[in-house]
Amino acid sequence: MEQFKIISFEVNGEPIEVEVRPHETLLETLRNRLELTGAKEGCGLGACGSCTVLVNGVPTRSCIVLTAEVEGSKITTIEGLAEGERLDPLQESFMEKGAVQCGFCTPGMILTAKALLDRNPRPTKEEIITTLSSNVCRCTGYKKILEAVEAASSQ
Amino acid sequence: MILRKFEYLRPASIKEALELYDKFEGGAVYLSGGTDLVPRMKLGLERPSAVIDIKQIAPLKRVEDQGEWVKIGSLVPLFDLRQEGWVVDNFPALKASLDATSCETLQMRGTIGGNLLQNSRCLFYNQSVFWRKSKGFCFKMGGDKCNAVPGAKRCFANYCSDNATSLSTLTCELELSGPDGARRIALDELYSGKPGKPFKVRAGEILTAIFVKKENTQGGYEKLRLRGSIDYPLLGLAFSLKDGKGTLAVGAVGAKPRAVELTEFKKDSVKEAVDTLLKDLTPVNNTVVEASYRKQMVPVMAERLIKKTVEGA
Ligand SMILES: Cc1cc2nc3c(=O)[nH]c(=O)nc-3n(C[C@H](O)[C@H](O)[C@H](O)COP(=O)(O)OP(=O)(O)OC[C@H]3O[C@@H](n4cnc5c(N)ncnc54)[C@H](O)[C@@H]3O)c2cc1C
Repeated sequence: MEQFKIISFEVNGEPIEVEVRPHETLLETLRNRLELTGAKEGCGLGACGSCTVLVNGVPTRSCIVLTAEVEGSKITTIEGLAEGERLDPLQESFMEKGAVQCGFCTPGMILTAKALLDRNPRPTKEEIITTLSSNVCRCTGYKKILEAVEAASSQ
Repeated sequence: MILRKFEYLRPASIKEALELYDKFEGGAVYLSGGTDLVPRMKLGLERPSAVIDIKQIAPLKRVEDQGEWVKIGSLVPLFDLRQEGWVVDNFPALKASLDATSCETLQMRGTIGGNLLQNSRCLFYNQSVFWRKSKGFCFKMGGDKCNAVPGAKRCFANYCSDNATSLSTLTCELELSGPDGARRIALDELYSGKPGKPFKVRAGEILTAIFVKKENTQGGYEKLRLRGSIDYPLLGLAFSLKDGKGTLAVGAVGAKPRAVELTEFKKDSVKEAVDTLLKDLTPVNNTVVEASYRKQMVPVMAERLIKKTVEGA
């Protein structure tokens, strides 16, 4: 018989309790149980970064993290970035610069950039490149993504 | 890609972790950051009945200055270690290999202990069950052939830890805790020399700390990869220099990093050192680039790295 466990953590500011299987990934729980479909499954092996969410502020590949591991943590997904109707400056900036093509990598890109700006509000272009090179964009739209993060960081 | 069933356990101490390991009679694995283990489980390369998450064991997360040695807890994330004073100021080879490991996000999750104990890799092995079935199982999967080198009698998988290569150029020891107590070994004693099963870790043992001798070194790390980020090394070269004595190491070819010492740094001496290393290296076509290319890059990268270090010293 399948064993379920109750895991408590916070998602986008809301405390939640969810019954999960021990071998369930955070990405599966977010998408399938909590209907937060912003984080995407790309490679499923931790390489591409499209499943990135913040775990206690740290960008994390949710496809290779077990939900059981995040017990007691604070999770931020792309759905939790806006404050009410007000988008995060990074989201505004991605729209402004047209930094989205197919959009599959966008949530991961924005959250990776968000964590960078939270720890280093004025990164150099070099630092932005290093950070964003954690994430793959297969439309190869990196130039506009970089411009968007640069613009958001100088606000 | 979905994971197969297992139990998940979260011990708070080493003692508790060892007891849990014992309970599963060889069916359990330890989990640190999971950046090596979870992809392996997804590909069915590892099918544990229990996953023992050791991340709650607080003493394993510290870096301590212990007189002659810096003691690095096995759970210290690579990203944090990159910023440690001793690493930045005195172990430039290690600093550079940490910078070059995968990418920032994975460095934040991946630990130094897990980095050293990551399994060896092969283009024909790190694949889904479906993919692997089509070729038939190789030595490393428990089969009776090598899918990279037709007719070969052994496995040629590559141990791809960037940081093991740089640590091989420093004085480095490891502390392991197991059912029979703790032991301390030189880094090189970790390795079996067999690519299929690279470590001599005893059943249930937990890597608790990495000790690096407090010596002031110059050095660096050169990594061959196709993309400047995320990719594993196709070849890694580390060099550390102290009091006119240098150690050059090559990693990501075969079962473990190989190191050689040198005291002269002119072209001829470097060539000699590289020739010594190459005798022990058998790169084969089991990565995304040709074996001959990887082999040819060893002297090129060695020369570049040593020149840069010696000129900067
Ligand atoms: C896309 C991608 C790219 C990568 N690129 C690189 C790269 O360029 N260079 C590189 O070196 N690595 C790379 N890695 C591998 C991995 O991210 C790192 O090696 C990382 O440091 C592993 O640490 P971890 O804590 O996540 O290990 P885990 O996955 O938790 O563990 C790795 C192995 O060690 C065992 N283990 C872990 N900790 C202990 C312990 N304390 N005691 C006993 N056993 C233990 C586990 O059971 C497992 O078998 C990459 C991974 C991915 C997914």
